[in-house]
Amino acid sequence: MLIIKPKKYFEVCVEAEITPDLALKKVEEVKKFKVFYGNKIVELGELFEISKEGEDKKIVLGGDFSRVKWVGTRMVDGEILVKGSIGTNCGAFMRGGRIIIEKDADDWLGTEMAGGEIIVKGNAKNLVGCAYYGDAVGMSAGKILIEGNAGNYVGDKMSGGEIIIKGNAGDFIGMEMRGGVIEIHGSCGFVGGDMRGGEIRIKGSFEVLPTFKKTEKGWVGDVNVKGEGVVKNF
Amino acid sequence: MEDIVCTFCGSVCDDGEFDVEKRRVKRFCRLGSSKFAEKERIKAPMVEGKEVSYEEAIDYAVEILVNAKHPLLYGWASTVNEAIRLGVILAEKLGGVYDQCASVCHAPGVLAVIEEGLPGGTLGSIKNRAEVVIFWGANPAEAHPRHGLRYSITAKGLLVKDRKQRKVIVVDVRPTKTAKMADIFVQIKPGYDYAILSALRAIISGNADVVPKEVGGVSKEKLIELAEIMKNAKYGAVLYGLGVSQSRGRDRNVENAIKLIQLLNRTTRWIIWPMRGHYNVVGAGEVPAWEVGYSYAIDFSRGYPRFSPAEFSAVEVLNRKDCDAALIVASDPVAHFPASAVKYLKEIPVIQIDPYPNMTTLVSKVVIPSAVYGIEAEGSTYRMDGIVLRVKKILETNYWTDEKILEEMLKRVEKLKG
Amino acid sequence: MLWIKNGVVVDPKNRINAEKMDLFVKDGKIVEESKVKKGDCKVIDASGKLVVAGGIDMHAHIAGGKINTGRVMRPEEMRVVRNIAGKFRATVGRVLLTAPAIGYEYAKMGYTMSFEAATPPITSPHTHEELDAIPIIDKGALPVFGNWHLVFKCIEEKNLEKLKSLIAWTIERSKGFGVKIVNPGGVEAWMYGGNVKGLDEQVPGFAVTPREIITWLMRANEELNLPHSIHLHCNNLGIPGNYQTTIESIKLANGLKNEKRQILHVTHVQFNSYAGNSWRDVASGAAEIAKIVNSMDNVTIDMGQAIFGHATAMTGDAPFQFTLHKLIGARWSNKDTEVETGAGIVPIGYLPSNPVHTLQWAIGLELGLLIESDKVVLTTDYPNGGPFTEYPYVMAMLMSKKMREGELKRVHQYVQKATTLPSIETEKTLYEVIHMTRSLPARVMGLDKKGHLGIGADADIAIYDLNPLTTDFSNEFDRVYKAFKVSEFTIKDGDVVAKKGELVKEVFGKTFWVDASKKVDVEAVIPDVKSYFDFYTVQFSNYGVDERWLKKSKRIEVI
Ligand code: SF4
Ligand SMILES: [Zn+2]
Repeated sequence: MLIIKPKKYFEVCVEAEITPDLALKKVEEVKKFKVFYGNKIVELGELFEISKEGEDKKIVLGGDFSRVKWVGTRMVDGEILVKGSIGTNCGAFMRGGRIIIEKDADDWLGTEMAGGEIIVKGNAKNLVGCAYYGDAVGMSAGKILIEGNAGNYVGDKMSGGEIIIKGNAGDFIGMEMRGGVIEIHGSCGFVGGDMRGGEIRIKGSFEVLPTFKKTEKGWVGDVNVKGEGVVKNF
Repeated sequence: MEDIVCTFCGSVCDDGEFDVEKRRVKRFCRLGSSKFAEKERIKAPMVEGKEVSYEEAIDYAVEILVNAKHPLLYGWASTVNEAIRLGVILAEKLGGVYDQCASVCHAPGVLAVIEEGLPGGTLGSIKNRAEVVIFWGANPAEAHPRHGLRYSITAKGLLVKDRKQRKVIVVDVRPTKTAKMADIFVQIKPGYDYAILSALRAIISGNADVVPKEVGGVSKEKLIELAEIMKNAKYGAVLYGLGVSQSRGRDRNVENAIKLIQLLNRTTRWIIWPMRGHYNVVGAGEVPAWEVGYSYAIDFSRGYPRFSPAEFSAVEVLNRKDCDAALIVASDPVAHFPASAVKYLKEIPVIQIDPYPNMTTLVSKVVIPSAVYGIEAEGSTYRMDGIVLRVKKILETNYWTDEKILEEMLKRVEKLKG
Repeated sequence: MLWIKNGVVVDPKNRINAEKMDLFVKDGKIVEESKVKKGDCKVIDASGKLVVAGGIDMHAHIAGGKINTGRVMRPEEMRVVRNIAGKFRATVGRVLLTAPAIGYEYAKMGYTMSFEAATPPITSPHTHEELDAIPIIDKGALPVFGNWHLVFKCIEEKNLEKLKSLIAWTIERSKGFGVKIVNPGGVEAWMYGGNVKGLDEQVPGFAVTPREIITWLMRANEELNLPHSIHLHCNNLGIPGNYQTTIESIKLANGLKNEKRQILHVTHVQFNSYAGNSWRDVASGAAEIAKIVNSMDNVTIDMGQAIFGHATAMTGDAPFQFTLHKLIGARWSNKDTEVETGAGIVPIGYLPSNPVHTLQWAIGLELGLLIESDKVVLTTDYPNGGPFTEYPYVMAMLMSKKMREGELKRVHQYVQKATTLPSIETEKTLYEVIHMTRSLPARVMGLDKKGHLGIGADADIAIYDLNPLTTDFSNEFDRVYKAFKVSEFTIKDGDVVAKKGELVKEVFGKTFWVDASKKVDVEAVIPDVKSYFDFYTVQFSNYGVDERWLKKSKRIEVI
């Protein structure tokens, strides 16, 4: 297990594509891992305290990581435990393993995720499980659990996997969704615009678009794309 | 001087007549005329409130920028392409962020273009061909006063000869001044543009049965009427404003409107275009697009451009405290940005290049006054529809142009960075 | 001063085929040995290396509203990083490239000139701003004429003098190079959702037909004797069965003659060579096209080769672009442009597993192989058929039957019955391929200082790690491909700008444009033009580009 803690307050955001693979390396090697501190390329060890306890494929991020971006990007296995909040693009393109965030997550959580699990104990901001601009498919597999609230644009162009939000979600949920499940225990705004497939379940209130048909299954649409997505209360 | 080009709004009228003696311009609207009137200027370059030479100010500014870990270079909508190009290259060399005024107005339209494309046309195609013009969340009577006359409402075209041959529709949340000029005004509930656009698409594609009795405050009958007008027009244009791109749904609204236009083009011809605000806000996106591939919210910290509006738009950069210096060109973020962003701007060294003092001047460590394009200097600008016009030099000045200031900055940066 | 020593020179214009010789460069020109002081020369040892003129891309979409909207619309294209900022600019782009990337990539490949193939006259200031941002290469732009109301008017009036004046005025104002025609009449029809289907279909609202538009512009172009002929993107592009329209259009050149060059250049012919009635039974019409082109002595074409991988369709052919959008459901941009013309953009891709895409790929090659090398220029209609950076692939394919056999195995077998490619034995020689990429496009564009290495030519030179005397082009296609991908040296106006695929110096090339305004009475058309300006949205005086705005202007006067 690798333990990483910021040495100081960062004057600008840090981009650190840390994955659990690092936990298998020697501390000295880990310290040399390159990260971006604004426009300077620096070594991880210059910005962070690094220590190791045991050999399991796990990283614990202590202290404030709310301005550290791209943590867990492309990870395939192992675990990252974030003791506080995490910066943008956490778990992007993730294919396996687990990320646990004890506080909040910034924008673009689990973008184009294709496997694995992300658990956010606090809130997540906008663009959870979406596709980056220009790409055709969002989250395709895996699971994102948000125990608090989520922002706008959740599960855009999602084709598979599961997003569960225990609190409320913002507006425009599951737009152009093709498959997978979004479950919201609280309330949200518009859901399912141009949805082709998949299911959005909402416990609280939400706004249905005028292009969904009411059926026994729930609201089915979006008729504008001859969609068979289902939006329903549960 | 004849045929001078207005540097106020995105209509970029090019038929002004400038009377040098009286310093007055004929034919422009009140907004345009005010731009040509004499106004208070920043007198001289200043560093921390002390007057200095241009060279000293530039040296000082470059020192700040070169030492910054992540400088933000913002503004650009009210300067010319030549200056914008240098600004983009400067951001690239500095490993900073280039962002422009669109990020707080029409940038959601760019995201919609990424999703669906932009089925559009020039203002001349609207003037000459459009039988139906829909202003959606746009109020040109206030924001682009001569737009209607020159291009869209009363404009006399080749094929659509005058106002009588053109139907004007306004869709907005309140009865605007433009709505008063319209044949049809459709008042909608704020925040329901997306739903209404979806409903229109359903009606036009033969799924009217699903659409409920009322959508976003508009009756189904009214929506059907609107859909019929759209379907039956030989050539129509939707011109949308900030009411669409800065209200609930933003890019999704625009995207939905574009999908509506795509659908209409299967049976007739329609185009859609944003009513862009500043005179060269289009150039502030076009120039970086050809120089580095993206139009705004561009980060160069890794030595190559990356695009991410949620991270590299100026407001996001400031809110996340992700910059440690800022260069503001021809813009006033202090007056227009949210309080949280302004608060951080006040904590970092700011360099301003602008002909006129504004709120941002008050928080700037280095202030570099510049010549006014279109009056004291010439250069290229993009009208809202991408048509290039050359703004002119009418009067002499001792002020340096943005282009010259940025060129000098770039030279020094290149020297320092090796 | 440069002394290129011991290279193996291929210079088709000067009938030099793989001869060992030295070249001398002074003040950006190729000069005689006696004109240089050898001691002052920078020496490049080119022993065992191929020395040719810099490549010329005579038809590509490299600047202006279309490619730039394409960039904005496709950020996913921009994620491929080609160069990190440092001594040179940061460059990015997969197939769509940024302006600096365009210059750098051409230069690294040994190309030194490229033409933007379609610019609406009113948007020419934008096109030129972008051309000015492209480093290293020389460039030019072709304004479009085939759907402009003013052109229709001159033809309706059957007033050739006026049409000539209009062309001369427009080319001067737009700093353009020649007369481009895109889907004549069809784009105007698109303004109301239509298209024109044949050469004799009347353009809605006008008493003109595509046949008349092409013939009148051709006659006017010849009377003006512009360096380049009319440059035609035929009607019915991208539609099965269109090869017949192409053949009919080619025949329009019958009876006209020009000493120096063709009367008609038909562009990206691959997209206009489809037989069959629908996408189900579409087949190649390339053999018929080749027959007619070979039979005529006043027509040239360029290939418009499709390259497997990503591409972006962007043409002035707005109705075609919409059809494409409907067909594949991709994003679609459109730009109706005043009463001049229109344009459209749709992202596409060519998959070897797709029968139609494979057909397109095969047709381009058929054209390149079946048409005489003196009549067919190598292009991909960048970025419509794919990247220009794959020209070496096309060059190698044309020279090696074995390479084609290998490629034919990995593609959809639809091509076996729908094209003649598998049975074509022809292997073009290096001499021919160098002609198709250098001296031929130079002649087609009417540039006598380009595309060759004779005394007085511009010193735009490419040196490749390929010895023509010892290379077996049929069998060593892999090496041939790699050798042409990156030059050993690229020399622009006498400056070494790239070495082994690395940029070493950034220079800016010239913008070539044609001024024929002295050749005719331009004033003859001005009253008409001015009356049309009531319907323009810019003032007459604000229309066009002044020479002083160009970074490096090269005016070619026609007298
Ligand atoms: S409409 Fe706009 S461009 Fe025209 S005069 Fe008024 S402010 Fe200037
Ligand atoms: Zn083309």
